[in-house]
Amino acid sequence: AMARLIWLCLKCIMLYSTVQAVFEDQVGKFDWRQQYVGKVRFSHFDSHVQSSKKVLVATENNVFASLNTRTGELFWRHVDKTGPEGNIDALLQHGQDAVLVVGNGRLLRSWEINIGGLNWEIVLDSGSFQSACLVGQQDTVKHVAVLKKTIISLHYLSNGHQKWIENLPESETVDYQAVYSGGNGEVYALGVVPHSHIAIVAYSLEDGEIIKQVIQMYTPWLSNIQASCSVIDQGVLTCVDSATVSLYMLDLHLQSQMTQIPLQLYVQAFLKKDDSVGYRVIVQTEDHTLTFIQQPGRVMWTREEALSDVVTMEMVDLPLTGTQAELEGEFGKKADGLMSMVLKRLSSQLILLQAWIAHLWKLFYDARKPRSQVKNDVTIENLSRDEFNLQKMMVMVTASGKLFGIDSKTGSILWRHYLNNIPSNPAFKLMVQRTTAHFPHPPQCTLLIKDKDTGLATLHVFNPIFGKKSHISPPPLPQPILQSLILPLMDQDYAKVLLLVDDQYKVSAFPSTKNVLQQLQEMASSIFFYLIDSSQGRLSGYRLRTDLSTELIWEVVVPTEVQRIVSVKGKRPNEHVHSQGRVMGDRSVLYKYLNPNLLAVVLESTDLHQERSFVGILLIDGVTGRIIHEAVQRKARGPVHVVHSENWVVYEYWSTKSRRNEFSVIELYEGMELYNSTVFSSLDRPHAPQVLQQSYIFPSSISTMEATLTEKGITSRHLLIGLPSGGILSLPKMFLDPRRPEIVTEQSREENLIPYAPELLIRTEWFINYNQTVSRVRGIYTAPSGLESTCLVVAYGLDIYQTRVYPSKQFDVLKDDYDYMLISSVLLALFFATMISKRLAEVKLLNRAWR
Amino acid sequence: MLHRERIPLLWFFFQAVVVVAWCFTDMETGPGAGVSTQPNGDRFKIEGRAIVPGLKTQDWVSTARILVEGEEYVGFLRTDGSFAVNDVPSGSYVVEIVTPAHRFEPVRVDITSKGKMRARLVNYIKTSEVIRQPYPLQVRANGPHTYFMKRETWGWTDFLMNPMVMMMVLPLLIIVLLPKVVNTNDPEMRKEMEQSMNMLNPNPELPDVSELMTKLFSGSKGSSKAGSSSSKGTRPAVKRR
Repeated sequence: AMARLIWLCLKCIMLYSTVQAVFEDQVGKFDWRQQYVGKVRFSHFDSHVQSSKKVLVATENNVFASLNTRTGELFWRHVDKTGPEGNIDALLQHGQDAVLVVGNGRLLRSWEINIGGLNWEIVLDSGSFQSACLVGQQDTVKHVAVLKKTIISLHYLSNGHQKWIENLPESETVDYQAVYSGGNGEVYALGVVPHSHIAIVAYSLEDGEIIKQVIQMYTPWLSNIQASCSVIDQGVLTCVDSATVSLYMLDLHLQSQMTQIPLQLYVQAFLKKDDSVGYRVIVQTEDHTLTFIQQPGRVMWTREEALSDVVTMEMVDLPLTGTQAELEGEFGKKADGLMSMVLKRLSSQLILLQAWIAHLWKLFYDARKPRSQVKNDVTIENLSRDEFNLQKMMVMVTASGKLFGIDSKTGSILWRHYLNNIPSNPAFKLMVQRTTAHFPHPPQCTLLIKDKDTGLATLHVFNPIFGKKSHISPPPLPQPILQSLILPLMDQDYAKVLLLVDDQYKVSAFPSTKNVLQQLQEMASSIFFYLIDSSQGRLSGYRLRTDLSTELIWEVVVPTEVQRIVSVKGKRPNEHVHSQGRVMGDRSVLYKYLNPNLLAVVLESTDLHQERSFVGILLIDGVTGRIIHEAVQRKARGPVHVVHSENWVVYEYWSTKSRRNEFSVIELYEGMELYNSTVFSSLDRPHAPQVLQQSYIFPSSISTMEATLTEKGITSRHLLIGLPSGGILSLPKMFLDPRRPEIVTEQSREENLIPYAPELLIRTEWFINYNQTVSRVRGIYTAPSGLESTCLVVAYGLDIYQTRVYPSKQFDVLKDDYDYMLISSVLLALFFATMISKRLAEVKLLNRAWR
Repeated sequence: MLHRERIPLLWFFFQAVVVVAWCFTDMETGPGAGVSTQPNGDRFKIEGRAIVPGLKTQDWVSTARILVEGEEYVGFLRTDGSFAVNDVPSGSYVVEIVTPAHRFEPVRVDITSKGKMRARLVNYIKTSEVIRQPYPLQVRANGPHTYFMKRETWGWTDFLMNPMVMMMVLPLLIIVLLPKVVNTNDPEMRKEMEQSMNMLNPNPELPDVSELMTKLFSGSKGSSKAGSSSSKGTRPAVKRR
């Protein structure tokens, strides 16, 4: 215990000296957050107070929130569990209370909508939920009725207690779908026998006795009351038959024969809710945009709720400004005579000077205005790269098929593009084929949209800066696509080549110009790729032939009855490793095993019993299929989160034995000597790497994990861990280092190794998003910036959060708290001191000379 | 691998001891959380209350959530600060109250298959150690989260108390003030000083290193050998005259 205490102390000392954190004055300087709720399922205007500015929304992402009708901002938001257990089935509102039915009728919740706290929550009897309504009597609503498949129950609105519960008659044949109360002491349950008739049962409010039971009316067209009927005031049931375009009406109290009114109907499917005071409308369109329109058709605000479901994203460098591009263009063009070259150079220099003066003038002009008035509106026209390349374009792909271009500095949406023909179960892969570096060729992104059910895919080629669809027509893909890969090869227009492998193992290239095909033929023998078939448990490696057919070269089969392949992680292609090895305490070098073709394959046991379940990691060379290392964690289960980078793999799993989350790190080293220091080839590495592994306890479950990335890889690495609490923890990689010693020695101290401690700590100072929690983080995207010290981070889930991190502090720029005042005042003071002392010395000399 | 093996072995042993001792006092060890969730198995309710001292509940409940074992089960706070997480099967769970503003300690809640509840401190290292906590849970916030590091502020006192500055300033003071206090022109005083200097210098015969160096580099032009270094102070003045 004492030793542990000392370790902890040591650790703390280390931390203070090494770890960066957010300073309070940096809040909002380079980070922003956008909060979303998701696709709206129910909404209610809070109308019990005339001046209320609230609208309540319940969404398909299991979020219940209150929005400000003036601005569209959130008052409060409650994020429930994902999946069917948090599913919101109904939303009712009365006064300050909102009643929700959650989890297919499992829970009944009442919320206080002003402060956003819970009034009560009760568990309902099992049974599939059908409908719910508020029950009132003489203008006072005191109860809520819940209709399920076979039962109807009545609850007090004040505390949720059940007043009565009754079985529904003939529930085997009648499909009860709606419940209604007109305020006269009766509760009606409306059911339908599909294609036959409507059944109506009236219950007494007081004791749940059946007052009336009517089974009549031949309604062969009606199968779903909820979809085609509603009860309008005074208890008149109105139903629409869309086949014959007719409206049926039925008075519930009188039970007269249903009257038929032929009518032309235009159902506006996206109209969510109307309000009687003038009108206020919330419109949700197919692309999940929520628009609020008031009185004379004025759009008050819009919320892009599609962004609550970001699937994948990329960050693209912004283009140079027009003048910079002009200068660049000069080098791109062919030379035509000395004189014209000189003239061109002079003219472009002149343009640069002009732009610089204009910039200075703008600075001067802005400085005179009060700060609040200076607005730097980012528009697509004035987008340009800043000097450190910190501002980038975030291209986000959402599950609804809407693409967004977001400015990373401010978070404003610069373009949006809705793809219409998205399959119902899509998978997306976004690739940058050409960056902005190749002026005058426009940057180009390609989105591969694959239908998960059929495997058929389409390509959407667009300009990531402006969002416009490219004029290049992508090739038609008639066969299901198994794998896609971006090659480092470029065509004559500097677009990287995208290879697509179809289910006949035939390869097609995009772009497929003659130049590309020729290059492919030359390179074919060194192009390898792998395919994963998780249902068969098969991992196979292929090689490209010169005729663009493929040849199987290795195969690894995992027995599917024992374990299954959960995920396969390679390294990021744009990752740079600066140092080849680590300097040991005795000044020797331990070289890293830097295999760019290494794949980390995560396996989970099919047996989930806590004694027998396990998690496995396979490290496979993607070219040769050689298994470099195999690690198994017994009595562990997923979900497994993996980060694979440099020479290490970090993964996290749930230990069923100790009921805790654990981290494990594997590091691979070549040893004290490098086999071939100039080039790495998977085919020529005779020695197996040394493998080191260590595990730690982590005191929280995690949602997602990613490693920081910088331009040259000099900066030390941090792991960014999304926690369920909404924090994003920046954990220095040096805590996950298998060389952490149990006993501190002189050498380990020399190497700056932290002594081993079983538990990793979560410190809130390490939260890069301080109190700006990000709900349900699904992914963290990291991108290098032009500064080596700085890594751009975007966390997305229900919310989007963008910030910068400095894993080794800001070593290449002056800190933002740099004291210009002090340094200049010291300099000035020194200057004057020398002046004065010089003068004094002169006077003294003179005096002495006179003596 | 090597590093991993030793410590777990120790823990196993320790745990084994604790578990054996514990099994006598309590039947249920709370098997794996969430694994054995039969759809018809009994479901229970975790109840408790969260308190933030000195703050009205309505100011913070809307931002708070109860997370049971990550996000496996989610509960919300009532307007009075109490909470109940419904529909939880038997097992052992870590219950956390998360808000962006306040820090609450997590609690481990064990639910037996019969629905007996027990709360204890979370200890991830000795997982079976039992330090009882009250149930229904009473969780008090122990202060706000500290998200921010303090900036290093600059003050005159920091500057003056800096050892480097002290080392520079004190000799300066001595150099400037000492000649004023002590009259160097007085021959008696001078003699006394020379004597004291000689006392400091343990071996007057041995040439001073700096003296040696200047002689070496300046060659014949070098000054004649001086008995003590104290005379140096006056010499430049002589030269200047």
